[in-house]
Amino acid sequence: MKSAKLLLRLSPLLIPYLILFCGGVFLTVGQSLGFLTPLPYTGGTFEAYTQLFSDPHFLASFLFSLQVALASALLSVTAGTLLAYWVWKLPQRLQTAAIVYKIPLILPHIAVAFVVLIFWSRSGIVASLAHSLGLIDAMQEFPNLLYSGWGLGMILAYSLKGTPFAMLLIMALLLRFDSRQIQAAYMLGASRLQTFFRVVLPRIAPAMQTGFIILFLYSFGAFDIPYLLSESRPGMLSVNVYNLYFKRDLARRPEAMAMLTFMFCFAVLLIVAYSKIVNRLEDAERKI
Amino acid sequence: MDLTLKRINKHFKGRTVLEDISFDVGPRELVSIIGPSGVGKTTLLKIIAQLEQPTGGEVVFPEPPSRKHPVILVFQDYVLFPGMTVRGNIGFGLKSRRIKKAEIRERVDRMLEYFRLEEQSGHYPAQLSAGQKQRVAIARAMIINPAVLLLDEPFANLDRSLKMETAGFIRKTQKEFGIPTISVTHDLEEAFAMSDRIGILLDGRLKQYDAPKEIYFHPNSYDVARFLGPVNIIPRNLYQLFGINGERGQQDRILARPENLVLEPLENGAGRIQEVTFAGHYIVYSVSLQDRVFTVYSHQDSFRPGQEVALKIKPYGEQ
Repeated sequence: MKSAKLLLRLSPLLIPYLILFCGGVFLTVGQSLGFLTPLPYTGGTFEAYTQLFSDPHFLASFLFSLQVALASALLSVTAGTLLAYWVWKLPQRLQTAAIVYKIPLILPHIAVAFVVLIFWSRSGIVASLAHSLGLIDAMQEFPNLLYSGWGLGMILAYSLKGTPFAMLLIMALLLRFDSRQIQAAYMLGASRLQTFFRVVLPRIAPAMQTGFIILFLYSFGAFDIPYLLSESRPGMLSVNVYNLYFKRDLARRPEAMAMLTFMFCFAVLLIVAYSKIVNRLEDAERKI
Repeated sequence: MDLTLKRINKHFKGRTVLEDISFDVGPRELVSIIGPSGVGKTTLLKIIAQLEQPTGGEVVFPEPPSRKHPVILVFQDYVLFPGMTVRGNIGFGLKSRRIKKAEIRERVDRMLEYFRLEEQSGHYPAQLSAGQKQRVAIARAMIINPAVLLLDEPFANLDRSLKMETAGFIRKTQKEFGIPTISVTHDLEEAFAMSDRIGILLDGRLKQYDAPKEIYFHPNSYDVARFLGPVNIIPRNLYQLFGINGERGQQDRILARPENLVLEPLENGAGRIQEVTFAGHYIVYSVSLQDRVFTVYSHQDSFRPGQEVALKIKPYGEQ
């Protein structure tokens, strides 16, 4: 009786979770195994997975996605940390003005992708600026940054969105940080660098970790920015799923679903590993 | 060579916080600057610590403070590094100087022993009592042999029972390490107990700077005397009644502490007991005499309200 009441009170949370999330995952996993597919499925239960893992393109895509996500999350958190620290140390008046850093937060990802495209493509603003300044003879000489095979365009777009996000998280912790700790460290003879690494960084590390994991998982699986800025070979996993789902034979639906399932499992594994590490670290710091 | 403050002025938003502050601190001296809250004591410390610039005047150090011999301010709430253990906090300055690990360990061990923190060496600041935190903060400063040590309100966060003990400990430590120390506080008794010299800071000015006994018994103004505790003014026309004569009788008025007045039972005496208050280890008597009321602290509890008494001042030697 008691638990029934509890379930009832939780229902606004539980019902959408059960229907949308669990239902979605169930359908995805089911279709990846050949059940509930739109066309009658003739292959074996794990055929989609076997196919997936034996495909070198998939592996390349996975590594590429990993690399883009890692680079953009690292870049965002590093830039976000340094900028947040810098803004925090500004005089109060300038700090209020520095609020402009939040603007990219309200821009949709797709808009940021366009900004990158407009600025950095071979026919973009930077290229034409370089041309009119005489740095390059023809627009075509501008390095092909966006499609260099390294995913630079995507990394740039993700970092533009991710940096202010990381700043936001870190600023929240810095606002509660006693600046006299920095004075104390200087008085005791620590250099600026030592003070930053030994006194400031440990205090904002939790926000940096959380920011990193959120940004990493987002850029690993998001679709909008890669759709605009991705390169085809290797492509990002999310774009591959999209192509498999919409542009290929309906019979390949299990493969698309297997890829989604794989991405989901990877994200879950990462979060589990992350919280284990954090728990162990916090055990040491709980006394603080 | 002394640390010397020369005519330090500080204005803040059009208001004068400190005016014309000059004093000097000897190489092994412990000096307390006492004043009520909000009188600019912390500002003065921050100026000496070079965390704030004075509007005028200068602080002259015997040897300019350097990274090797810095001026260290121990904040009122200690500002320990919360993510480091006691050992980490005390060793911070040495680690910053890239001293070898074994040497840091050894020197921190010595500090832990001297400051009675051996058992807490692995604890984090949040696990310490206020007294322990303060010892960590002082140890963290002493280990790098600072040019000057500044203590901001060293007794403010301590329990009443711990204050005097701490004053003794600070004095002992200061003498042991021989580091010139300036403390600012509004805790009078503790400052008197531990200091070589005391400065009274009132309304942004240093009113008197002298040895504790001199300040207490010979305040140079009524304001100073009043700040240090209740004080009675004996005007000239009452000198005879109080038995004042000789050299002392040449002054226009005499400032007398309540403990320096004595009551004697005397029928038809000029004084009359108005009020008797029990205050623990002494009794407070309010005595009316002509149109004035005098406060007397006495160990005798034999006087009753309404009783007629004579009021005398203790001779100089008994003060």
